[in-house]
Amino acid sequence: MKKNRLVYKPEQTEINVSPLIDMVFILLIFFIVSTSFVDEVGISSNYKDSNSNVNQDSSPIFFTLSGSGRIISDNSSIDLEGVRQKVKNSSNSQAPSIIIQVKKGARAGLATQVMDQALIAGAKAVKIAAID
Amino acid sequence: MKVRKRLINNEEEGDINVSPLIDVVFILLIFFIVSATFVTLPGIDVSRPKVQSTSSLKKNSILFALSEKNKIFHAGNQVDLKEISPIISQFNKDGNKPVIIQVDKWADATLLAKMISEAKKFAPKVSLATLKNK
Repeated sequence: MKKNRLVYKPEQTEINVSPLIDMVFILLIFFIVSTSFVDEVGISSNYKDSNSNVNQDSSPIFFTLSGSGRIISDNSSIDLEGVRQKVKNSSNSQAPSIIIQVKKGARAGLATQVMDQALIAGAKAVKIAAID
Repeated sequence: MKVRKRLINNEEEGDINVSPLIDVVFILLIFFIVSATFVTLPGIDVSRPKVQSTSSLKKNSILFALSEKNKIFHAGNQVDLKEISPIISQFNKDGNKPVIIQVDKWADATLLAKMISEAKKFAPKVSLATLKNK
């Protein structure tokens, strides 16, 4: 009788894996549904806070975007290529910081492009400020 | 006789081996767990500005969108300019998540400037999403 039980035991030790598979499937479906692949590209304006100390040697370069979509610097209208040239010329000694002043009605696309050109030309910090 | 024997034989061998299935499912599960970032998309489509210098942005970011009609969106809802910094501080309790603004190229730049300065209060980095340069 005792011997018989010992022989019987090893046959029963198979684990039932179906609940495990069910759980794993549920987890899998949850993660598939909740995963959203964000793959953004873009530009970053890494400027310091306006309160922090600015290097006194390099005064920032100002660009003004008018409501009619023009880029104004030193009282003259320039294009995107001009922005790049201007930043490049002043970045010989030190990377300059740029401040883009935007008036109401200026388009965000143009502001982004000006930022982009300034960053290409080697600007250290680009800041956008709204003027009313 | 022959037919019958074969049928019986088949029935005995008809147990599907599930171990490869479990292996594949586990691999898929691990892949999705690792790649899950749980970002909430703003929920609107914007026409992004096209620029020349682009870099890949961090995936685990707080996303905002500025629509063509100068409305700010976050997680599928329209939010106010003043609600931006509470939202960011709420998400940024533990880590320092950067902020990405999906800006429409026809949106008002003054509102964009105000959004960036609001976002800068609590986020370490504010980026503008642009078109892929290809």
